[in-house]
Amino acid sequence: MSRRSRGIFVAGFLLPATVLYALFVVVPVVQAFAFSLYRWRGISANRTFVGLENFRQLFADPIVWLALQHNLLLFVGTSVVILALSLALAHAIGHDSGTARFLRAVYLFPQVISLVVVAVLWMFILNPSFGILNGALKAVGLESWAIAWLGEKRTALASVGVAHVWHALGFYIMLFSAALRTIPHEVMEAATLDGATGLVRLRYVTLPLLWAVLRIALVYMAIGTMNIFALVFLMTQGGPDRATEVMLTYLYEQAFKHSDFGYATALAIVNFMVVMALSGAILALLRHNPQEGRA
Amino acid sequence: MKYIQYALPAIAVALAVAMVVSCGRQSTTATKELEVACFKGGYGIDFFEQAAREYEQQHPGVKIKVWGNPRVWEQLRPRFIAGNPPDLTYPGWGMDHWALVYEGQVIPLDEYLDSPPYGKTEGKWRDTFEPALLELCQYQGKTYMLPYFFSMLGWWYNKDMFEKNGWKPPRTWSELLSLCEKIKAKGIAPITYQGIYPAYAVSGFLIPWVISAGGIEAFDNAQNLVPGAWKSPAFLKAAQMMDELRRRGYFQEGANGMDHTGAQMEFISGRAAMIPCGTWLHSEMRNVLPPNFRMGFFLPPVLDDGKGDPTAVGIGIEPWMVPTKGKNRDLAIDFYKYMTSLEKAKQFVEQKGTLMSIRGSDQANFPEHLKEPVEVFRRAKTVWSVEYRQWYPKLGKAVEDATAALLAGNITPEQFVERLEAAAEAARQDKNLPKHTYTRGKAR
Repeated sequence: MSRRSRGIFVAGFLLPATVLYALFVVVPVVQAFAFSLYRWRGISANRTFVGLENFRQLFADPIVWLALQHNLLLFVGTSVVILALSLALAHAIGHDSGTARFLRAVYLFPQVISLVVVAVLWMFILNPSFGILNGALKAVGLESWAIAWLGEKRTALASVGVAHVWHALGFYIMLFSAALRTIPHEVMEAATLDGATGLVRLRYVTLPLLWAVLRIALVYMAIGTMNIFALVFLMTQGGPDRATEVMLTYLYEQAFKHSDFGYATALAIVNFMVVMALSGAILALLRHNPQEGRA
Repeated sequence: MKYIQYALPAIAVALAVAMVVSCGRQSTTATKELEVACFKGGYGIDFFEQAAREYEQQHPGVKIKVWGNPRVWEQLRPRFIAGNPPDLTYPGWGMDHWALVYEGQVIPLDEYLDSPPYGKTEGKWRDTFEPALLELCQYQGKTYMLPYFFSMLGWWYNKDMFEKNGWKPPRTWSELLSLCEKIKAKGIAPITYQGIYPAYAVSGFLIPWVISAGGIEAFDNAQNLVPGAWKSPAFLKAAQMMDELRRRGYFQEGANGMDHTGAQMEFISGRAAMIPCGTWLHSEMRNVLPPNFRMGFFLPPVLDDGKGDPTAVGIGIEPWMVPTKGKNRDLAIDFYKYMTSLEKAKQFVEQKGTLMSIRGSDQANFPEHLKEPVEVFRRAKTVWSVEYRQWYPKLGKAVEDATAALLAGNITPEQFVERLEAAAEAARQDKNLPKHTYTRGKAR
């Protein structure tokens, strides 16, 4: 096959996918940018061009900042917990014992359960009247700790975060156990012979070898928490008194409750920018593996 | 290979011709097709489907397609945008009804309302509706929507629990306080509520007490965005009453973290004695109701020396409408006339166990749990409805957020009314927000 006909051959295979991608991904994204410049109720074809008015309002809207703050809090809070737990658990189930085999069989369960079910499950657990959490607290005499977890401003966001961690953890365990398996056994053995055990080995041997996966995991976590919606919407509706409002629940409210699709689209774009910036920042900050190039 | 080259276009042409011919044939017969899109809620859409079959029998040549699901508004939105809506629709609570009106997507119906009811040659269709319900469908003097069934808002009590203990549903604030003390002494939570959805507390506590303290004008003024109305003494009093119940511990502990099913389960399992809820409560919980559970309905207790009408009752509707770009307007209207005939209205009451907006339909056989609400409605001299939530959704949200904060004890009643007034001020200042006026209160 000549070089040219080979090029046509390859293009022929790429074309359908490219066209579909352009049609269903690129065009809507570009359209979304356009919609954000209009005032539009989203119920007829009538739109009024307002320029950057939606963005001006958005930056002056205290709830946007509050929601963004909640997203970032969720990101920081849950990623620390997820990292610690998933690394530990990935390590723990790497051994060949009965418990490890059992854990390997179940750790992905929360990940494959529908988010709606996860939300309902956690609402049952956290139920102030018959939930097992308060039941357990009362059983051990901590009655004053048994509160309406999703109804109190100070605990609602953390409660949603816990449900998120429970749901997301399996994925990261999978990611890290796959990565751990790629570390040659000899390296670990050598490190052990050199006297590096426990946390020292984790810090100076395991983590540097997992660096690339760690970066990707953090980017995933940023995307996951910036785009969190279903759990919050189902568990708290963004309440009480906006204590768990996140970008996407606020977007939903603007679009579908206030019929302000232009503003909602502007919110979507800002959220998109934040996710991009956050991911870019994570990748840039973690570009250099601190252990590389050391003697 | 050659044959295929010619065969394919030939088949395509043949298919196209066949389609054109068959379409042509369809339009030559006198068949009229009507598309009716309905929200499929607790009452289902089977009643509307049945009505369509009956209507088809009475009108040969008419075909009615009734479809619906619990998220029907999501499918209707793109159809409205594309200019291809159904002929008649009941879009459900997820649709912003007034946005449809502002955008000219639904037609004013007054001309039809002044025509005779279904199958009659005289009289006005308008007069067959409960006037108070029809008023909720008006904007700038025109009627854009039509009610079907309606719900009443009030409080429910556990009948067996009350009878066993010799308690009576409280009518006044002082009766409520002394009853709550007795219930609490028995180790039962006096009142529970659907904390995650504060709209229940707004229509179950706040508004009834605003009306009791300040009369219906206090609430009408608020809905009409009269400056200062949302922080009037009536609102402050109502907020103080809610705060007092909270401070005395009469609300179930943890209710602020319960969703509607959670709180309603507390009520039917007997851990709480009373709950604010609409007349849909029974049908919403029917799958989990204990077999002999009896619930009674009463109006929220009023202030002992309240200014407001103690018979005032809150109601809510889920309206139907006729899209401007529907293809069979007259047929859509006639079918809806059939559905709202007295005979069909009574059938709906009996089959679905809810109240209907058609006058005289309260002569039907009501299920046990609706007998008290029907009595309450017959006695009511004042009817109110939370309309600002539909008119000004952001104000609605702000009131709900503030209510959640008040019930959690995060803000004082004074801060509460300041927040409400600030939200009302924002609505007043919003140039892009079409303003409504309530036609019944003294504000006009």
